[in-house]
Amino acid sequence: MTGRTGKYVAFLRISFAQARHARGELYGRVVFFVVILGVFSSLWTAVAEAGMPLAVEPRAMVWYLAITEWIVLSAPPMHFDIQEAVRRGDIVCQLGRPVSWVGAAFAEGLGLLIARAPLLFATACACAAVFTGWVPPLRVLLVIAPLGMAACALVMALWIGIGLLAFWLGDVGPVSWVWQKLMFVFGGLLMPVELYPALVRRIAPFTPFPSVLSRPASLVLHENAGEAAALVLSLAGWGTITAVTLAFLFRRAAAALTVNGG
Amino acid sequence: MVSRLRDFVRPQTHEVLAVDALSFSIRHGERVAFIGPNGAGKSTTLKMLAGILHPDSGEARVLGLVPSRQRRQLAFQLGTVFGQRSQLWYQLPPRDTFDLLSRVYEIEAVAHRRRIQSLTRLFELEPFLDTPVRQLSLGERMRCEIVASLLHGPRLLFLDEPTIGLDVSAKATIQALLRAESDRDAVTLLLTSHDTGDMEKICDRVIVISGGRLLWDGSIVDLRRRYITSKRVTIWSEIERLQLTIPGVRVITAAGYRTEFDVALDVTTVGHVVDAALKQGSVRDLAIEDAPLDAVIRALYATTHADIGTSGAADLPPSLKLQRTAEALAEAAQARTEERTAS
Repeated sequence: MTGRTGKYVAFLRISFAQARHARGELYGRVVFFVVILGVFSSLWTAVAEAGMPLAVEPRAMVWYLAITEWIVLSAPPMHFDIQEAVRRGDIVCQLGRPVSWVGAAFAEGLGLLIARAPLLFATACACAAVFTGWVPPLRVLLVIAPLGMAACALVMALWIGIGLLAFWLGDVGPVSWVWQKLMFVFGGLLMPVELYPALVRRIAPFTPFPSVLSRPASLVLHENAGEAAALVLSLAGWGTITAVTLAFLFRRAAAALTVNGG
Repeated sequence: MVSRLRDFVRPQTHEVLAVDALSFSIRHGERVAFIGPNGAGKSTTLKMLAGILHPDSGEARVLGLVPSRQRRQLAFQLGTVFGQRSQLWYQLPPRDTFDLLSRVYEIEAVAHRRRIQSLTRLFELEPFLDTPVRQLSLGERMRCEIVASLLHGPRLLFLDEPTIGLDVSAKATIQALLRAESDRDAVTLLLTSHDTGDMEKICDRVIVISGGRLLWDGSIVDLRRRYITSKRVTIWSEIERLQLTIPGVRVITAAGYRTEFDVALDVTTVGHVVDAALKQGSVRDLAIEDAPLDAVIRALYATTHADIGTSGAADLPPSLKLQRTAEALAEAAQARTEERTAS
């Protein structure tokens, strides 16, 4: 592969190779994943056994959570890398190249995503299957896997946007914390957005969060080809908005750049 | 408390003029040291010339391009080495970064292979080309950094403190390699460093800035000639404690049969000193040294800092400049003497 696309594929490949050499973090995520699914599996089971009404049966809720957690844990937190590059001044090495900085960052993120998402997806399915004793139809999982990957890529692109704020703020920790919590609430990390209060349900569609978490995971609750197609369009729409926003933010950031450390 | 709250709500900021009224041009193939004290604006200038930082006003042209507007086109002809930053992928061998850069700079596979072979031979990278970067020494890593910047055959190379933190042997290697590469491919070098060895061994011309303004632009030889007002003469004689009463000559150290003199060249000559020593008894050996370039640079900085702050030495009358420089040189020599005595 040559030319412009080849550059970004090269970034993806080297990032993938680097991720394979730093497997400790991935194994840590797997362990965390197993623990969190175990805890929530017990919680939903206890709720059902206590006779509390659940709109969705407990085993489906565990699978829903497995998918949302898979997406959240697979998307590389690019904002930390960008923040560190801006803080240390390493950004000067990256900006001197004949390549789109945002494109390179996205390609690097994809490399990390490809390195970690398959293992985490396998972990999600295995854990959910063990904890619930139930597996959704294979065709559902085959639809969820690519849509979930696309959702991960969008989550990562949004993190790049948060990371770009480091050019002005220096520390994006507080912003990323708030952003993450908004994603968890309006994205429906723990349960589908339809089960949330009316206010959340009204606001959520105006954010990208349901498209990256609730809607891909809901496919495990009710198989629906129309919903899958709508999700594809929604991800494409939010992807376009995010790309335009990133390009705008980067132009402003590059113009206002001050490189730390002289 | 109130002021803290006000600072939080409406933080006070002030602008720092990093580079001001700086103007110079560099010919193709020149090797130029771009120096100045900390905060002088060296790195800022380099980053502006590379198109990474955008100037508020003024114009820069590099290889016929305007860096702030044509950064990507310029990047194909420009290499940058930032001694305190790394462009190598930490967990991976240098070869992987080189392969990535070949794609980034759109180098054809055959040309890339040939270039890698040639540069790895010149920079002696073969033994660790496939070793993860995290396992390399600083000197090895810096050689890889320079190769990474030269892969695409840039016409111009910006080096920002390329030998920082290296031991003397690694420094000498880098200096020799940079000079060799510049000779071989007529690569123009613009180098910032606090190490005068880098300047003397790599560059032919030096630009000195302070407070973002130009202080000196000329050859290193001229810089020495202009600012060195004394020489150091060390004489090993047959008699103990050699005494010379010549105006402009003073003893720096005297120990047994070895005496070190500072000779003010605007008052007398080295020849007079040697003649006078020979008249007093046989001279076993003698050494004549310039003040080190370090001292010259320190004197130049001291002159500007002491007298003009950030307004630029160019405004000083030459006589005052030289007088202050001579004083600073004398101070530097005195400090060295004290260091030696202590050791």
